[in-house]
Amino acid sequence: MKNFLIILLLIPLLLSAQEVKVEEYVLDNGMKFLLYPREGSPNIACGWVARVGSVNERPGITGLSHLFEHMMFKGTHVIGTKDYKKDQEIIARLDELKDRIFAEERELQRRFRLGEVDDLKDPKYRSKRHNELLAEFDELLKKQKELIVKDEMDRIYTRAGASGLNAGTSEDWTIYFINVPSNKLELWAWLESDRLMNPVFREFYSERDVVHEERRLRVDSTPTGRFEEEFNAMFWTASPYNWQVIGWPSDLEAITRREAKEYFGINYAPNNIVACLVGDFKINEAKEIINRYFSRLKRNPVEAEPVRTREVEQLAEKRMIAWAETNPKVVIRYHSVADGHRDEPALLLLGSLMNGRTGRLYKSLILEQEVANSASAGQYGLKYAGYFTLSGTAKPGHTPEEVEKALYAEINKFKDEFVGERELQKVKNQWAAGNFRRLESSFYLMFQLLINEAYNGWEQINESPKKIQAVTAEDIQRVAKKYFKKENRAVAVYYTKEGTQEDPMLAGLDEEEKQQVRQFKGMLSQARAEQLKKMLAGFEQRASNAPEEKKDMIKVMKKMVEDRLKALEGGKQ
Amino acid sequence: MRRITGLSIVLLLVSLLPAQQNIPAHPDELQFRKLDYQPPKRTEYRHELKNGVIVYLAEDHSLPLVNVEMRIRTGSYLDPEGKRGLLNMMANQMRAGGIKGMSAEEFDEELAFLAANISSSIGNFSSTGTASANFLAKDTEKVMELFFEMLRFPRFEQERIDLFKSQVLQNLERRNDRTSSIMSREWDRLMRGDGFWTTKQVTRASIESITRENLIAQHEKYYRPSNFMFAISGDFDSEKMMKLLEKYLSDWPDNGEKVPEVPKPDFVPQPGVYMVNKEDVNQGRVRLGHLGLKRGHPDEFAINLMNDILGGSGFTSRIVSRVRSDEGLAYSAWSRFAFSVYYEGVFSAGFQSKSPSCAQAADIIIEEIKRIQKEPVSEEELETSKNYAIEVLPRYFENARAIVNQFLSDEYTGRPMEYWDTYRENLRKVTLQDIQRVAQKYLHPDRLVILAVGNVNDILAGNPDKPEYSFKKLAGGAEIKMIPLPDPVTMIYPQ
Repeated sequence: MKNFLIILLLIPLLLSAQEVKVEEYVLDNGMKFLLYPREGSPNIACGWVARVGSVNERPGITGLSHLFEHMMFKGTHVIGTKDYKKDQEIIARLDELKDRIFAEERELQRRFRLGEVDDLKDPKYRSKRHNELLAEFDELLKKQKELIVKDEMDRIYTRAGASGLNAGTSEDWTIYFINVPSNKLELWAWLESDRLMNPVFREFYSERDVVHEERRLRVDSTPTGRFEEEFNAMFWTASPYNWQVIGWPSDLEAITRREAKEYFGINYAPNNIVACLVGDFKINEAKEIINRYFSRLKRNPVEAEPVRTREVEQLAEKRMIAWAETNPKVVIRYHSVADGHRDEPALLLLGSLMNGRTGRLYKSLILEQEVANSASAGQYGLKYAGYFTLSGTAKPGHTPEEVEKALYAEINKFKDEFVGERELQKVKNQWAAGNFRRLESSFYLMFQLLINEAYNGWEQINESPKKIQAVTAEDIQRVAKKYFKKENRAVAVYYTKEGTQEDPMLAGLDEEEKQQVRQFKGMLSQARAEQLKKMLAGFEQRASNAPEEKKDMIKVMKKMVEDRLKALEGGKQ
Repeated sequence: MRRITGLSIVLLLVSLLPAQQNIPAHPDELQFRKLDYQPPKRTEYRHELKNGVIVYLAEDHSLPLVNVEMRIRTGSYLDPEGKRGLLNMMANQMRAGGIKGMSAEEFDEELAFLAANISSSIGNFSSTGTASANFLAKDTEKVMELFFEMLRFPRFEQERIDLFKSQVLQNLERRNDRTSSIMSREWDRLMRGDGFWTTKQVTRASIESITRENLIAQHEKYYRPSNFMFAISGDFDSEKMMKLLEKYLSDWPDNGEKVPEVPKPDFVPQPGVYMVNKEDVNQGRVRLGHLGLKRGHPDEFAINLMNDILGGSGFTSRIVSRVRSDEGLAYSAWSRFAFSVYYEGVFSAGFQSKSPSCAQAADIIIEEIKRIQKEPVSEEELETSKNYAIEVLPRYFENARAIVNQFLSDEYTGRPMEYWDTYRENLRKVTLQDIQRVAQKYLHPDRLVILAVGNVNDILAGNPDKPEYSFKKLAGGAEIKMIPLPDPVTMIYPQ
């Protein structure tokens, strides 16, 4: 173990050169600014983060943090409207109508529960009153449209040459960012302080539909989106991490503007927000502008409360078996630690040791055992909890269960043996080089400073590299033993489902037979022409020996082999 | 904190000012100091090696890192008949399969220990080869040595080839799973026709037929100095770097043979409504458009601004404003007038929307295409679009790496040397009349190909609350053509 000491002594020399020296500037209202001027092109990466995300939601308003992020682009008292007063009147009337529409919808939902209504969206079930309300609502929207200056904030920024205006919501934070030319810092301060001070949630209900489309895009209409959501929900028992940022569909349809306003008051007070500037600016000038604009925001005397509900200890392994349009694969998650926990550096390195072209998973599962075609692992620390995940896609001819077993074997090696010196140094070198790479882009640096701040303070950007370099082989073994326990994990096993369009050839078979034939078809897609020919030869005999009730199934299987063979031979170019 | 420094006095005074002072009522009233910006000059970064290889260099000593970007004159259009996927596999295996002096595993280990990233690739739809290296400056000589070994003497280990084939074949199976991959594939077929290099697909047979000898032959054919260009940025000394490049490139045999040009399509798209059925999704994906123009067209700047206003620049464009903000029909909606480098590009617009509202969103887009032809755009719209394009220019040249990489791409695609010098002037020249003229001349709402991928029954049924919108109507009485899903492995389409 002597060499370890020497290496540890050398590392700080390499790292000390690139501390990120940020100046903190805190206003009286509690809003904090991280200032990092640097030479380069005439641009400033600007952003701010609110310490709020889906973890702060509750059933009924899941997805609100993200929907809210969308609403912050809809204007203010000044931006986005030609006539603020008239606009407010219409909004109030819209809310009133919406309440009554909700009442109608609740009645439909009641009947839906009783089975009297099979489709909540079908107009034929709506009452006359319901239809009148909807018509009136649409009329009012049209009136409001005349007052709206469409996406005015976007237009102002765009005209000024600012680029990349966007925002993002996670489980734990919501971030808003843009790049502005270096002479336009004051424009940023104007627009951002304005929307933090006097936001108006216009077009609330059409934007809610946009978010629902986003859900369809990212979750519902992707091959495994719904399954990943289900797996996540299974993994967390008590923790609000158990719904995804996008929220449950029913909540997305029911969230009201009033709830959004309430949410804003608590979570978007200046004392819950941190901003950051990285790029071409002078500290003094920036401070003057910041002070002039952002001091206008009022501190909320009530500080946002940390989430109360802690995840409970898991007692038994959980399993999900899924048939999806994906390669056969396995995903394993262990409960581990939150961001910044003292065991996190060792868990991060453990992930690095498994990943990449020289990682253990590639060497063992892919090259040596040849059970998988891809595999990866990693530690994900959230604010209040965290998990370590492993996954692998089975190589054709192998099963997800074989991959799963092989993954456990790799985990056990970490429990049983110390990781080698050179191997550990290799992944530490990669983290050390990464500390330089992450500084290349101003925008990315701004982003990291804010995210770090949202978790455990921006200083972590300088502290965590040191902690990574200090991890020992003993640490790795200790965390492997501590967290990788059977009762501490959830496992998702995916088998390949062919397209949902039912193969017409399967008609007439019972469910069990269909399942067998589908599996058989999956196998066929992996077979070569010669194998298929052999198979065909065997079919005649099998058909005559098979019991009468299985003959249909065998006929179908044979036809599949013939079709497949035709396709393969015809497909040769 | 008794001693007050000069700096904190200023700050103290500033903080005593009434907060509301000096804040204009509307951001339009803000005054900004003028930014005097000139884009970097390409000639100042451009160097030439003795054998004529072009190298762009930009020193930047702020971080101890070096970036090497490379273009290789080659591409997947050069895949031999029956061996679709060969060039892609070759470039991938250059990196994966070891080098002359090291096994694949040794090569990987060495690079991993140095924390150096090296890559090599040719996309299956790409008309260029790329390679790159990113490493710590202290390891420059060591990593450059390994990088050039890879470029010149790849080992192509059989085991890694077999693994790659297995991965590719497995992924072929998944080609019909995502509406996005179905869309891009079928759209390209409708625009370019079957048999063009971008619509010829990798199949099980083409992958299985590829041998190690094929890889070696293709590598020898294209990976030689006269096909190379470099962009290097970061912490190095230019003179030393040029010497290093000379060292690796000067004794590399090169027959100077010219690489065949990228083939041109010869296909006239057939206007109409097309659909691909994918029952298990609740959101349809729709694209509509027609052929466009080749890059370098005299109206390029006007067309780009026109398209920005139509649907190219996010929230400030008309399509997003109507489809997304007004109606809430889609998360993303866009239009794109793509100028291809080698042949006519494609004008297209698209969105994803819940199945019943696809027809309405498509109708809005067509309406907007017609409107930008019929009425001149507003001065404010043109001003916004122009200003953005002009003011955002410094972002393209954000740092040393961005500068030389932009110039490398310009060099490879044969952009005129003065392109960026006149860029802003060319934008300023565009008038309101130009916008309408190019919209009328280059947009063809009467010739649209419309493709929808999703649950066809639900898409055709439309929204019961809005029966005025339907794909039947969009097809104008003509038959809606159904495109079946091909077998994902053989790419044979059922009759």
